[in-house]
Amino acid sequence: MEMRTDEVLQVTLRGEIDFTNSTEINKRIKEAVTEYRPAAVRVDLSAVTFIDSTGVGVLVNAMRMANAARSEFRVVGPNRRISDQLRTMGLLAAFGLA
Amino acid sequence: MNPEGYRSRLADLDARIGKAQPPPDIVLGQASGLLAGRAGCRLGEAHAYLVRLAAEQRRPAHELAAELLAALEKEPPRGPPFVSAMLEAALRPAQDQAAPAPAPRPSSSGEAWIQAVQQILDGLAGRHVLLIPRYTATGQVDDYTFAAASPAVLDLSGRSGAQLIGHRMSEIYPAIVDGPIWDAWHQTLRDGLPRQIGPLPYLSPAERAPAEILLTVKVWPVGAGLLNSWIRHDEETRLAERIAQTERLGNLGWGEWDLVTGQVLWSDGLYRVYERAPSEGPLSREETEALIVPDDLPVRARAAEAFGRGEAVDVTYRIRLGGRIKHVRTVVDAVRDTEGRPVKVYGIVQDVTAGEISRLRLTEAERQLRAQQQSLAAEHRVVTRLQQIVLPMPQEPIDLPGLRVAVRYLPAEKASRVGGDWYHATPTGNGNVLLSVGDVAGHGMEAAAAMAQLRHGLAALAVTTTDDPGRLLTALNRLLFADGHVAAQPNLLPVTATAVVARYEPGRNRLVWARAGHPAPLLARAGVTVELEQPDGPLLGAFPAAEYPTTVTSLRPGDVLLLYTDGLVEQRHQSSEQGLAPVLAVLNRITAEPAPHPVADLVNQLDHANPDDDTCILAARPLGGPSPAGGP
Repeated sequence: MEMRTDEVLQVTLRGEIDFTNSTEINKRIKEAVTEYRPAAVRVDLSAVTFIDSTGVGVLVNAMRMANAARSEFRVVGPNRRISDQLRTMGLLAAFGLA
Repeated sequence: MNPEGYRSRLADLDARIGKAQPPPDIVLGQASGLLAGRAGCRLGEAHAYLVRLAAEQRRPAHELAAELLAALEKEPPRGPPFVSAMLEAALRPAQDQAAPAPAPRPSSSGEAWIQAVQQILDGLAGRHVLLIPRYTATGQVDDYTFAAASPAVLDLSGRSGAQLIGHRMSEIYPAIVDGPIWDAWHQTLRDGLPRQIGPLPYLSPAERAPAEILLTVKVWPVGAGLLNSWIRHDEETRLAERIAQTERLGNLGWGEWDLVTGQVLWSDGLYRVYERAPSEGPLSREETEALIVPDDLPVRARAAEAFGRGEAVDVTYRIRLGGRIKHVRTVVDAVRDTEGRPVKVYGIVQDVTAGEISRLRLTEAERQLRAQQQSLAAEHRVVTRLQQIVLPMPQEPIDLPGLRVAVRYLPAEKASRVGGDWYHATPTGNGNVLLSVGDVAGHGMEAAAAMAQLRHGLAALAVTTTDDPGRLLTALNRLLFADGHVAAQPNLLPVTATAVVARYEPGRNRLVWARAGHPAPLLARAGVTVELEQPDGPLLGAFPAAEYPTTVTSLRPGDVLLLYTDGLVEQRHQSSEQGLAPVLAVLNRITAEPAPHPVADLVNQLDHANPDDDTCILAARPLGGPSPAGGP
């Protein structure tokens, strides 16, 4: 996980996002959003190979926090499988992927 | 020199190690002491030299020592001629027998003693050279020749002792000529008395050498020449600093117990370990042993036994200092004589308290981990029990109005992943049947609690409010979104869940359904299985005002409908198509021919638990036989 902040909070996730690391990722995104109040939050999933329902929960919560802070929220670069998962979960539009 | 002291200390050591040893060789100790006194070297050096020489000559050390003693005791010490005579007398066998005689120089009667001195220097630590004065025709000394040198001699220009031998002082070190050291040599030649000069600065002519160094020079008259020892203070200081720094960095101390002299030496680091001022002097062995925590005394005793067997000892035990406990690691070795008796005992002592504390903390962390694993197991038992209470799983298919339903719940193979899958199958009271499966994100207590909330919420709403799948999901979404416990524990993730809710209307052979982020049901008809066209509908708990449109599908007798959670098809390392394929194959096979118990067969054949995730499946088939829609 990597974070860069200017106007946009850029979160780059890598590998497998699941219940083992979701709490920590959630915490760090939350701290960054609270501290920097970015104009936009961008989560890059291009290096993510797997995401479970808890991992999707992290993305949903990032979206909720961004919405609450009136920041734009986008997810970029999901692979086909994750994109299918997000479609099934009805999240493509909300994540700017539709 | 106190041979009695050495003997008693050896006896004392023998007693400690519980092992009888032959009486100590007093002669060797005496000879070492006398040689050290006459040669002006350290006792240890003289001792090591005699032992080494005896070993080279394959003779017992005490025999050589006895010869030396005899030579020394014949005459009282009184000047250079005596020393040379003594060395010649004592060391002649060495010349005859030692195989590789060093530096074979043109032999003459006058040079035999120089070779003897060279042999002695070969065994000495430190930088020593033998200088022979050069006399002018008028009997004045105008220069010195290097005649012998110890192995450690390496001058500022990188010349070794061997390279110096045969050269004159004025050509090698012109800066010395007529300086204070030069004057001291002259004086010692005149009066026969040893001298020490310095510390004084020496300016090196060599470019790559340090510009100025501090030297102390010690001069003894030896035979027709001078024995000259150099002590370089910059090196001494650097070495001392290096040792001090090493001791500080490693919490180390160093101690030496000389059994011959009884002298105990402690380094500054050892005083630090024992929290003692160097001015107080070292503790005796008895005093240090008194500090050992009684529980650790057996450890120390075992180490003493090993030491008695001639092994180096490496042992860690606790000492009590001023009410605090310190863990010290001690590595002990000895310098032994040719018969294995210790002469000097060295100990390196390290304060490893910090490391021991980390190790203890690690042990504590491991204990906590075990406790947590036990509590995880306890949680698993609770969750499993909760599942059984909230979600009783009928083993046999159940008959609802116009519909036979079989359900199966497969807990995750890994106990820690058991969580929040649920199903619901109940008549709505108006002749319809409500079918649902859902999946709460996450595992454990929280997921199980959310599962209970959703399932009971759905049951209550279906009875009191509506049987419209879309409206039911809208209500469940609000319930989950507004869930209060998230605010109470800010680092927890808000709970999300997915679900599919369907209402079967037997009279119209149709299924009205909606989904919230959940996979669409599968419909198998006459050996062909399709995933139903899915309406929109995001997962529960993500958006405050989500809409869940419904869609309608015909469901006829003979069809098999499968609602499932993604544990059935999702595996971490394969695509969902790969996961879905075997399920489709089973559905196709089961519906290819009419069968008496298709839903029971189906759940039995899909009974493969997913290692990482719960799986809940609900299979339903309209009753009434394979007759066309609207039949009796």
